Amino acid sequence: MDGTFTLEFARSADSLYALAASPDFARDGLCFAACRSGLYRSQDGGASWRLLRASSEPVTTALALSPAFADDRSIFAAVKGGVLRSSDAGDNWFTAGFPAPPPVFSSLLASPDFERDGFILAATLEDGVFSSTDRGLRWQPWNFGLFDLAALSLAMSPAWTVDETVYVGTETGLYQSANGGRAWRHSGFSSELAPVLCLATATSQAGGDMKIFAGTETQGLHLSCDGGESWERLAADAMPDAVNQLHLAQDEGGAASLYALTNDGVMQSDDEGRSWRQIIRVDGAATAMLPLCGVIFLGIQGKGVMRLPRN
Amino acid sequence: MSEEKPFPTRKIYRPGVVFQPEAQRNIGRGIHALVAAIRPTLGPTARTVAVTRLDDARKPPDVLDSGGVIARKLIEMGERDEDMGAMLARALICRQHEQMGDGSATAAVLLGAVYSGGAHYLAAGGNAMRLRHYLERALAEAIAALDEMTLPVSGVAKLAQVAEAICHDRPLSKLLGEIFDVIGAFGQLDVRKDQGRSLRREYIEGMFWNSGLVSRDMIANQKELQTVYEEPAIVIADFQINDPRHIMPMLELAVEQKIEKLLLIAGELDGDAIAGLLMANGKLKNFQVMAVRGPGMNPDDRQAAVEDLAVVTGAVPMLKVMGQSLRDIRRENFGGARRAWASPHNFGIIGGKGNPRQLRRHVSNLQAQYQRTDDMKRRGEIQARIGKLMGGSATLWIGGSSELEIEARKELAEATAPAMRAAVKEGALPGGGLSLLGCRARLAARLGRAKDPDERAAYRIIHDALAEPARAIYENAGYEPGEVFGRLTAAGAGYGFDAVNGCLTENGALLDGAAIQKMALKNAVMTAGMALTIDVLVRHKTPEIARAPG
Repeated sequence: MDGTFTLEFARSADSLYALAASPDFARDGLCFAACRSGLYRSQDGGASWRLLRASSEPVTTALALSPAFADDRSIFAAVKGGVLRSSDAGDNWFTAGFPAPPPVFSSLLASPDFERDGFILAATLEDGVFSSTDRGLRWQPWNFGLFDLAALSLAMSPAWTVDETVYVGTETGLYQSANGGRAWRHSGFSSELAPVLCLATATSQAGGDMKIFAGTETQGLHLSCDGGESWERLAADAMPDAVNQLHLAQDEGGAASLYALTNDGVMQSDDEGRSWRQIIRVDGAATAMLPLCGVIFLGIQGKGVMRLPRN
Repeated sequence: MSEEKPFPTRKIYRPGVVFQPEAQRNIGRGIHALVAAIRPTLGPTARTVAVTRLDDARKPPDVLDSGGVIARKLIEMGERDEDMGAMLARALICRQHEQMGDGSATAAVLLGAVYSGGAHYLAAGGNAMRLRHYLERALAEAIAALDEMTLPVSGVAKLAQVAEAICHDRPLSKLLGEIFDVIGAFGQLDVRKDQGRSLRREYIEGMFWNSGLVSRDMIANQKELQTVYEEPAIVIADFQINDPRHIMPMLELAVEQKIEKLLLIAGELDGDAIAGLLMANGKLKNFQVMAVRGPGMNPDDRQAAVEDLAVVTGAVPMLKVMGQSLRDIRRENFGGARRAWASPHNFGIIGGKGNPRQLRRHVSNLQAQYQRTDDMKRRGEIQARIGKLMGGSATLWIGGSSELEIEARKELAEATAPAMRAAVKEGALPGGGLSLLGCRARLAARLGRAKDPDERAAYRIIHDALAEPARAIYENAGYEPGEVFGRLTAAGAGYGFDAVNGCLTENGALLDGAAIQKMALKNAVMTAGMALTIDVLVRHKTPEIARAPG
């Protein structure tokens, strides 16, 4: 590992839960880190970080940036029992409350068409999925057909504006909604393979159907090419059983690579998940990663956020 | 001299037996009379039928546009033998209306056409039993053709289209489309009257039952008349609790488990037991309990509710059949939820802490039971149970400018709902009679290959009958059917006729529920086949009319 800790935790109990960067990171160098100790912001490509006093609740568990961040400067951060929203890149924050008892948020996901529809989803560990259609001002629970309310991960279809399809990974399975999260049905993903810790969707490079990747806690990485009806395990020999995070990132040339965070480090696939190679081996527990243009950020339990060169 | 009271006049029939050809003619007259009464109600530009009121003939007649309701209101046609035919048709139309909520006029028109075609063939010397056999074979071909045309229906816009084809009320259709997009085929929908003038919908999180608090003293929020508990423990017992001493072990165990809020769902609680719970609320620190009556109107309902509540909350229910009382309570009898609420008439559970895998299996089992049974009442009960377990429900509030309008629209929404469920489950077909027209090519091909005269007759009869609903729709809308058929033929495949706007539309612009169309066709052909085999009519003596004393 030839990276450096650009954010070092003061306490060993501290941990990084989520990372997010501006869609225009290459130009503005703006990125955020949601940690147990609070929310951090870097304006210099992750070289230095500043703690934002976002709320009285220090723990931030999930992050999402508007896809139109360059224009609307909107960022969302989840704390216990509520979602904070800022429309000035984190300088000022407003809180949206949720019904008591306060839920713990596992994931936030803004619509690819956020600029137009203002739609954002929040997954919680106890109360299922909430959605907001007014840029995070008000939230409603939408759990019709979602039998498992322990929601761990979210992903939207790349063709969201057309098909309104969204997926949620839970403790006991994977559910899908074809109407923007208003109603859910269990996908063809076997509940024996759950919990589903992370999800990623991609349009096939060869065209055709969307690909859905599901990373599980104990059963490795799985792929569906038919909208979630059937699944196959990918790279069972190369990929460890626990897949904690998945990210799709493009390089300068526009080629897409898939990154998986496992208990051993970071793995990369350049052929839509068919073959994988370990690109970063980690000493300690890696809790979050974010591959960006030319750089990968990695959160290490109790230590901090590491900045590594990509490729 | 006292004036004689007029007696109701009634034709006196002698008992007897009626043979062919009179039997067939009379049955046919009855069928065609009822079909003719309902035919004007088919399509988006339905005309109305006035029916005298049964309770008081001097009151204004009921003006109706639903074939099912008209058939239900017709209880006799005048002539006794015609009545038999009319009642056969009435049974078919009512069955279609009750099972599907729509398609009764289509079924009636198809029945009339198939019967008419069949009667002509029999009059020319055909064999009724063989014809019936081949009609059923032709029916299977037509159903197979409809299956091929059936498309899954999803999304607000498509569902709203289906709703509009059923209820012909655009604002209501838009809301029903949205609601069924959310709740799906099995979700819970309540249609209620509203104070306002418009339509609105509300989605309710979690599941709720129509059974409430055992005492108003348990209401914490007097303004909203309800009590809400966060993270409550839940105990389910299906028996009556009448001894306050029996609740003590439950309260002791709850306190020992550091439970702060407890919801007790019990078969019944008597006054002493309720007093005991209220006393616990006052005396125990950091502990609150509320009790609701177990839901269900009869033992089967109650057992089903206990089963569902146990799966949702993760509680092991305490059962009378096991000889249990609250004194036998153990830790596993406590289930839980994120939130629970109760009012004097309802209680609800949000985020039950049962095993999600078990809940999903339970719902799958109920869905399998639903598929297995043909009993409509049982189906309704199972559907209601599944609807509750889906984790939410919808309420459609019907407003309007008068009580009459609200009532009529509420009835319309309630009648449309089952047809929408069927459409979500079984898909949709091109509307406006187009799907039935589309089956004719397959039947024509079979007709071309058939050699047996009875078989050929059956294919021809069904082939011709399938055009009749479209013909009725065009006529009712004021168009010349022959001209419309000509325009459709010239336009080629993929076009239908919009009877409201009088123009050709692309296929898919108009949609009908597939299950409705298939059921209408099946009911009509089976009834016509059966009616065609009737050879003899037997009349009983006219029953005496009960007269008022004096």
